[in-house]
Amino acid sequence: MRLLFGPLRRSLFLRVFVISSITAIAVISSIGSNLYSRLSDGIIEEKINSSIAEGSAAIQYANYRFIIGSVTNSTSPLKLAEEVVQSTNITAQESGRETILFSVNGKVEQGIPAEMSSNDLEPLSVPNSLRNDVRTHDGIKWSRGTLTYLNGEQIEGIFIGQTIDIPRVGQYEIYVAYGFQAQSKTIDLIRNAMWGAGLLLIIILMMMATFVLRSIIRRVRAAAEIAEKLTSGELQQRMEEKGEDELARLGTAFNEMASTLASQITRLENLSKVQQRFVSDVSHELRTPLTTIRMAADVIHNARAEFDPNVARSAELLLSQIDRFEALLADLLEVSRFDANVASVTMKEVDVSEIVRKVSDELANLAAEKGSPIRLQLPTEAITIDGDQPRLERILRNLITNAIDHAEQLPIDISVASNESDVSVSVRDYGVGLTEQQMSQVFDRFWRADPSRSRLRGGTGLGLAIAKDDAALHGGIIKVWGEIGKGSNFVLSIPRVHGAQLSSTPLSEIPN
Amino acid sequence: MTSVLVVDDDQDLAEMLGIVLNGAGIEVDLVSNGDEAVDVFRNNQPDLVLLDIMLPGLDGITVCREIRKESTRVPIVMLTAKGDTHDIVKGLEAGADDYMVKPFKPSELVARIRTRLRRAGGEVNGSLTIGDLAIDIVEHTVMRGEREIPLTRLEFDLLVALAREPGRVFSRETLLIEVWGYRNSTDTRLVNVHIQRLRAKIEHDPENPTIILTVRGVGYKAGGSSARG
Repeated sequence: MRLLFGPLRRSLFLRVFVISSITAIAVISSIGSNLYSRLSDGIIEEKINSSIAEGSAAIQYANYRFIIGSVTNSTSPLKLAEEVVQSTNITAQESGRETILFSVNGKVEQGIPAEMSSNDLEPLSVPNSLRNDVRTHDGIKWSRGTLTYLNGEQIEGIFIGQTIDIPRVGQYEIYVAYGFQAQSKTIDLIRNAMWGAGLLLIIILMMMATFVLRSIIRRVRAAAEIAEKLTSGELQQRMEEKGEDELARLGTAFNEMASTLASQITRLENLSKVQQRFVSDVSHELRTPLTTIRMAADVIHNARAEFDPNVARSAELLLSQIDRFEALLADLLEVSRFDANVASVTMKEVDVSEIVRKVSDELANLAAEKGSPIRLQLPTEAITIDGDQPRLERILRNLITNAIDHAEQLPIDISVASNESDVSVSVRDYGVGLTEQQMSQVFDRFWRADPSRSRLRGGTGLGLAIAKDDAALHGGIIKVWGEIGKGSNFVLSIPRVHGAQLSSTPLSEIPN
Repeated sequence: MTSVLVVDDDQDLAEMLGIVLNGAGIEVDLVSNGDEAVDVFRNNQPDLVLLDIMLPGLDGITVCREIRKESTRVPIVMLTAKGDTHDIVKGLEAGADDYMVKPFKPSELVARIRTRLRRAGGEVNGSLTIGDLAIDIVEHTVMRGEREIPLTRLEFDLLVALAREPGRVFSRETLLIEVWGYRNSTDTRLVNVHIQRLRAKIEHDPENPTIILTVRGVGYKAGGSSARG
C-alpha cells in the first residue's frame, strides 16, 4: 500500500491522473452498461412481440389446416401434421421458425407420432413450464427458452404454444419457436461498438488529462523550483508571466512577493551594513585621538617622579584607564565584526594543552596576586586540533580572568580532556558562584553578576560574550554551571576537526 | 642624529609623535599632507618614514609607492587606524616594511623604529652567495653577475637571514622575530607579502622560485648553494 500511495502522495500529476482516469472509467462503463442493457432489452422485446404475433398466426393457420383437412378429408391426418410441422424449412438458426407438435395424451394416434418437430429440433426443448401452462390454460402462451437441436447446437429463443384439436385424432400441443440469432448478432455488434467507443473515449480522456496536467504541472514545477532558488538566496529569480490564466496570476503575485522580499532584504542588508559601518567608523575614528592621548599620557607618566604625589597618582590612573579604554574599543570592534559576520578564522593544527599552558603562564602572576593559584590537569600527550590560535588563546584568557575575578582567593582548576572527535577545557573556580538565572545571562554583553560588585580587573564586560562567539567560530560551545558559594565551572568544547559537528563534550560542566 | 619623516594629517598626533620621538633622540620632520610628503622626502632624505594611510591629497598608499621610487632603501612604517587585512596588505604591497595599528604604545613605536634602522647582519661581515646572487653585507648590495638588484633594507635583511643558513627552515614566526624584531606576533601576512615582493625581484621566475623555497605548512628556506666569503 505504502508502495502504491507513496508516489501518489508525492506527485500531483499522478494523483490527478489516477483519480480522473478512475472516474472516467467508472462513468463511461456505467453509462455504457446501462445503455447496452436498455438497447438489448428493447431489441429482444421487439423480437418477442413480433414472434408472438407471427407465432399466433402460424398456430392459427395450422389449426385451420387441420380443420379444413378433416372437412375435405382429402389428406390423412399424418400427412397434414407433417405438412404443418415441415411447413418451415428455414430453421430458427437462420431467422426462420420451428414448429413442434405434441400429443396431449402422449400416444401415437393414426400414425401421428407423440412428438414431432421441424428441422431436427429436439422437441423437449420446449420448456416444461410452458407446456404445463399451455395444457392447463386456453389461448396462446409463450415463454423464452433454449432451442436445442439434435446435433447439440443451442440457440436462445422464444416458444409460443397452444392446444389445438385435430378433428377425429385428438388434442395436440402446437408450438412455434423463433431464435434470437439475428438479435444476438445485433446486440453483439452494439456491445463491441460500445466497448470500442468507451475505450477510445477513456484513452482520449487520459491523453487530454495528461496533456493539460503536464502543461499545468510543468509551470507549477517551474514555480516550485524558482521558489526554492529564491529561498536559497537567489533573490533575482522570477517566474514566467505568460498569458492571463490563474497560473499567470500566480506568477505575477509570486513575482511581486519576490520583489518585495528582495527589496526588504536589500534594505535590511543596507541598514545593517550602514550600522556596522558606523560602529566600525566610530571605533576607527576614536583610534587617532586615543593614540595621541596615550602618547601624551605616557610622556606625563614617565615624568611623574617630578610631580607631587596626587598628580603622579593621577598620571598612573590616566594611563591605566587608557589601557582599559583601549581594551574596550578593541572588544567593541571585535563584537561589531561578529555582528557583521566578517570575523574570520585561520585554522592551523594547534595543541590545546600547549595553549592552556601558555595562557595560564601569562595569567599566573595576576592569579597569584589575587591569591588564587591556577592548578593545571593536562593530559601527557599533545591534543592537536584544527584551531585559530589567537582566538583559542583569547577564549581561555577570558575564561581564566573571569575565574580569577570571582575565585575569592581559592584555587582555580583547569583541566583538558578529549576523545577522537572533540576536546573540552574546563575552568573551575570555588568562589562566588552563579544562580540558575545568572547562568543564562553570563554570556550577555556588558552583563554583571552583581552590579554593586566592583570589577577587579577592569574587564570590558564583553569577554565572555566574545569567548562564546570565538567558540562558535570553531563550531564549539561553552557550557556553564554555578552554585552560589560553591563556585562556577565553564567548559569549552569544540570539535577537533574544523567543520565537523560537535558530537560530544568530553568534560561535563556539572562537577562530580 | 637619526631623522624620521612623519606624514600624518592629524596635527595633534603628529606633534605628539614629534615630542615622543624627540624624547628618544630622534629628529622629526612633520608633513600633514600627502602631496608635500614626496618633496620633503626628496629634500631631507630622512632615515625612516612614518606614514599614515588616510591622508588628504595623495593617499598613504600612493605616497608610499612614490617614496619607493625615490629610494629603495628607506624603511617605511605605516600608521593605520584600520586593523583590516585589506588596507594593511595594500600598504605592504606598495612597499611599506612594517605597520603599526593605532592606538600603539610610544615605547613600542620607538622600539619598532630602532629595529628598522638597525643595520642588517650587523655582526657578520663579508659576503654570501645564494643561487646566482652575491650578497655583500658590508656594502649592502645584492649582485646578479654585474647587475645590482635594488632591495629595500627589509628585503635585504630577510634575504640575509635566509641565506646565512641555507637549508634551515624558518617558520614565519621565527622570521617575524629575527627580521622584524617582534616578540609576540602572529601576523604572518607581513612575512608572506615581503617574501613575495622579494621573490619578484630576485627570482628568475617568481611563480617557480628556486632561491627562496616555500616549505608547506612550516615556512621558508633558502635553496641553492651558499658560501661565506
